[in-house]
Amino acid sequence: MSAKIERDAQGRKQARYTPWLLLVPGLLWLIWFFYLPLYSLFRMSLSTKPSRFAVPEFGWAWSNYSQAFSQYGAQFQRSFTYALAATIAALLIAYPIAYVIAFRGGRYRNVLLGLVVVPFFTNFLIRTLAWKTILGNQGPLINLLHTIGVLGPNETLLRTPIAVIGGLTYNFLPFMVLPIYVSLEKIDPRLLDAARDLYSHTWRGFRKIIIPLSLPGVFAGSLLVFIPAAGDFVNSYYLGNAKTTMIGSVVQDQFLVQNNYPIAAALSFVFIAIVMVVVAIYSRLLGTEEIA
Amino acid sequence: MARQNLSRRQFLTRTGLAVGGVAIAPSLLAACGGGGSDANKNAVSISNWPGYMGKTDIAAFKKATGIGVTYTEDINDNNEYFAKIQPNLQKGKSIGRDGFVLTDWMANRIINEVKWAQPLVAAKLPNKVNLRPALASPAFDPKRKFSLPWTSGMTGIAYNIALTGKEIKTIDDFIAVSGPTSVLSEMRDTVGLFMLADGKDLTKPTYENAGTAFNRLEKAISDGAITSFNGNDYVADLGTGNLAAAFAWSGDVAQITRDNPDVRFVIPESGGTLWSDNFMIPISSEKPDLASEWINFFYDPVNAAVLTSFIQYISPVEGVAEELIKLGGDAAKLADDPLVNPTEAVLATLSIFGPLNEAEEIRFDNRFAEIQGAG
Repeated sequence: MSAKIERDAQGRKQARYTPWLLLVPGLLWLIWFFYLPLYSLFRMSLSTKPSRFAVPEFGWAWSNYSQAFSQYGAQFQRSFTYALAATIAALLIAYPIAYVIAFRGGRYRNVLLGLVVVPFFTNFLIRTLAWKTILGNQGPLINLLHTIGVLGPNETLLRTPIAVIGGLTYNFLPFMVLPIYVSLEKIDPRLLDAARDLYSHTWRGFRKIIIPLSLPGVFAGSLLVFIPAAGDFVNSYYLGNAKTTMIGSVVQDQFLVQNNYPIAAALSFVFIAIVMVVVAIYSRLLGTEEIA
Repeated sequence: MARQNLSRRQFLTRTGLAVGGVAIAPSLLAACGGGGSDANKNAVSISNWPGYMGKTDIAAFKKATGIGVTYTEDINDNNEYFAKIQPNLQKGKSIGRDGFVLTDWMANRIINEVKWAQPLVAAKLPNKVNLRPALASPAFDPKRKFSLPWTSGMTGIAYNIALTGKEIKTIDDFIAVSGPTSVLSEMRDTVGLFMLADGKDLTKPTYENAGTAFNRLEKAISDGAITSFNGNDYVADLGTGNLAAAFAWSGDVAQITRDNPDVRFVIPESGGTLWSDNFMIPISSEKPDLASEWINFFYDPVNAAVLTSFIQYISPVEGVAEELIKLGGDAAKLADDPLVNPTEAVLATLSIFGPLNEAEEIRFDNRFAEIQGAG
């Protein structure tokens, strides 16, 4: 009898520690590869460099932040505008795709999902460079647009903001499709049957049932597209021009060309802060407590 | 329902694995490829730029000297490479290399400012006598004690005449081109050509002197007359017509003009720049003897000619033209190619961008970065 109680007590004790034990690998990983680097980056952002090649010294140099903010405001603004445009475009493209796969995919569902993921097997850089060919002056698209008169004879696609936003949309599209698909796929089709039984037409059923229930997917997808798109510099470098520089390029330039690590670190922190504020506002607006 | 659930879970797991795999693979590959240190004591490890080595040269070196080579093409940009080696060399630690090749101004920084180069071993360098006199005493290394040019090149304007519709002769012509154009993201090349157009002495650059050149560049960018800044990627764009004209390096153009006769290269009437990429031995290397033998090998005109036939830049070695002719075939044609073997008249229009002190360099770099991100 007492042995059983003892065993139970031991079991409860174990049960209490199990979650922590399960968290250990993840926590260690986060501490080593996220929090410590973040901390050292933060210290760097408050450091000064007496000369260009000297080791930066910590010194509460908040001026790095005001400099980062005032000098590169335009690039910050541009990054978030492009990222917002790319997120909206990705949403408009991804939602119908996810909808068709979830509700009309049938036995081809896995194949269709596979097709969404296939571009991931190609390197990010290669995909962007491929876009350069597609949008280029000898590419098929530009001839078509010239013929139907969308673009004037001297207008080009490559090296324009449109090309940068297009590249961002394309590169991050699967991140939008997959979460929306997952949330759509969870919806019980009987809810739609019920709506139809109650004489609701298709559009109303879509508006009242599908859209609200897929919002968690939309929320997750938009963040997965918006955040990396805002920090990207590859698309603006290869598809844009000298006037489409995004904040990622500035950070890269400050780190690797100017060797100005403190400013680069401050820029990174300003970026993180803005992203966090945007995400907080967005989650409040969408009211998706269940995901948070 | 249950089956659906399962398939979703399976799907998510597989996607997770696939995406994770894709994300991790490049770093694993990088980790495997990065370690270039050769365990063999009788071997050197060299860093260089892509496209700077022929197919047969390394084997020929091994055969001639018995020294092994780990050759890595991991220099894509002077600043990036500097940022890569800085953490170790600053603390006096090894970077696993016995030699690297960097452009004049960066060689100046390595030799004179941070002092990370060790002297070449003169006893192992009998072929140094073949160095072209014009390159023998640059301001950053007057006696070539620490460095020897690997190769040299010119910066000028490349254009696709099918798109420009006329010849380009000056910087003004270049700015007036209506199609897309690009300048180089290497500050000294781009600002250098603008300063020359402005009639300034490039060998003694000052920030004050460069003021009008910077303003002119800035205006051309904000007017959209110059479309973008490029590294090496202008080469493909000129061939495909995505660029009508670009500031360009001679060797790159030498390679594309053969495929596309519409692409031409010109030194602007106001002058072009001449630069060299210089071989140096880092202070951390324990094999300066072997590394000196490596560079000595390529200062033999016969070996230098073979190298030139592959890379098609200007060789710093005297007597290469004669050896190219002896090689015959396509290599012999290079001896007459003004991009590979420029005439004295062309060389006379070229200037070398002089050294900048630290404070001046920061002002140049900041202004250039400001223009690059303008808008």
